[in-house]
Amino acid sequence: MVYRTKHIKPARPDFDVIIIGSGSGGGVAAHRLNHKGKRVAIVEEENIGGECPNYGCVPTKALLQTAEVVNTIKKANNFGVKVSGVNLNFSNIKAWKDQAVKNTGTFEGKKSYEDDGIRVLTGHAHFISPWTVSVGGKRFTAHKFLIATGTHDFVPPIPGLEESGFIGYREALDLTKMPKKIFIIGGGAIGVEFAHIFSTFGVEVHIAEFAERLLAREDKEVGELVAALYEQRGVKVHTSSKVVKVAKKGSQCVVSFEKEGKAHSVTVDKIMLAAGKVPNTNLGLENAGVEYTKRGIKVDKEMKTTNAHIYAAGDVTGKYMFTHTAGYESRLAAENMFGSLKHHADYRAVPRCVFIEPEIATVGATEDELRAKKVKYQVGAVPINIASRSNTSQEDVGFVKILANKKGVILGASIVAPRAGEMIHELTLAIQWKLKASKIQYAIHAFPTWSQAIRMAANKIRVR
Amino acid sequence: MKHIVKRRGHTETYDQKKVYASVFAACQSVREPAGSSELIAEKVVSEVNKWIEKKHEVTANDIRRQASKHLTVYHPDAGHMLAHHRVVW
Repeated sequence: MVYRTKHIKPARPDFDVIIIGSGSGGGVAAHRLNHKGKRVAIVEEENIGGECPNYGCVPTKALLQTAEVVNTIKKANNFGVKVSGVNLNFSNIKAWKDQAVKNTGTFEGKKSYEDDGIRVLTGHAHFISPWTVSVGGKRFTAHKFLIATGTHDFVPPIPGLEESGFIGYREALDLTKMPKKIFIIGGGAIGVEFAHIFSTFGVEVHIAEFAERLLAREDKEVGELVAALYEQRGVKVHTSSKVVKVAKKGSQCVVSFEKEGKAHSVTVDKIMLAAGKVPNTNLGLENAGVEYTKRGIKVDKEMKTTNAHIYAAGDVTGKYMFTHTAGYESRLAAENMFGSLKHHADYRAVPRCVFIEPEIATVGATEDELRAKKVKYQVGAVPINIASRSNTSQEDVGFVKILANKKGVILGASIVAPRAGEMIHELTLAIQWKLKASKIQYAIHAFPTWSQAIRMAANKIRVR
Repeated sequence: MKHIVKRRGHTETYDQKKVYASVFAACQSVREPAGSSELIAEKVVSEVNKWIEKKHEVTANDIRRQASKHLTVYHPDAGHMLAHHRVVW
């Protein structure tokens, strides 16, 4: 005999909307819906604010700022300032990082939500039915749900890794004693940023990436330039490398990897994992009729899941794992839940930044993507030392590269330069509004700024 | 205390013996020897216990999905039986 449970939409639910996850993907929608007069509850099982302010962008950027200060002091003599050495106190550096996290305001915890009238439910949320979640043993119903549960670290199945022990980025942020040697598995944005932090703090760094270059999702020149810079600074970059085994040797670990068919091994004090992220989908989604894969929850352009009253936003959808895209998707979900005018997600102009020295910022399509789509494109590129600011700052490594179609409409861009993260938004705006390179050519750029290089790169695009 | 929400909406306290019994029965139904079935059932129960640790309330279907997911690793046929045949469950 087959029993069937009828899941009936509750006539008088506890809330209009229950949001699972208080990070950027959940928090933005919570406040927006609350301002629209909806009864909102937000569920969080860890710290309020989620990944970015507590363990992600904010603390890493605080440490990268420390690294920048260290490197500036080291170069002080070039600018006529005499400085005698740098002393690093890692407990104080951690205290500064903790202060930066506190300053974000998420440290207030529940208060910021409860002051606005949003109910905060603490605990793990689990769907019991499409209209009910269980949090801390109590059940709550709602007419709409937004899932914004983020991701957790992917642990690759490397023999001996679990037994030998490793750290993730969360643990790496709280180190008060630096290892002498570290092996970073993964050459994406997280791995590259931590390689910069550790090498600046005097750690011997090995970084291994399975792909043929670091930052493999970006244009070839970006990853190759970063690898060349890192090699110059003493970081050992192992691209096209696969870690095959890890073994404990006293207090150290021996990491064995294969590169171009040859076996190599390195003995290090610590191993850091930065091999990607896995969406947090352990929520009883099957009970709610929400489909998902290993890459994340399936959503349509309105951020709706396979169950029409349940939406998802942020990293858990597996699209772009950034705070800014999570916030954007959260805003869309909040608008689409109750609005009659439906907004569609548009990912043509998503800026992507890596905050090392020099900074890396990219937006829109890469050359590989355009080639895959068989789009004919032209390239306008200049070295960063073409900008006069390069002379006064003594920074001459980097470039600006713009990709445009045959008519000159900008499709993508990569910048490697000091403050590239600030510069990229001119090109983000151009891609968002389908502007031709000529619009940038004719705009006056202040002298002497790094952004002048953007105008010069745009000059190299032929406009028809 | 962990609670299991049953198909009709009522709840029961989580009982790992029930999971053990159903995994064992699934193994037996595909003619796995008794000793091996016991070992597999113990492993699956410990995985399900780990999964349920942080949760207060889950559905009976959740338990079945988790048990069959882990059972499939050790014995794909038994995992299939557990996932698709309610008579075992």
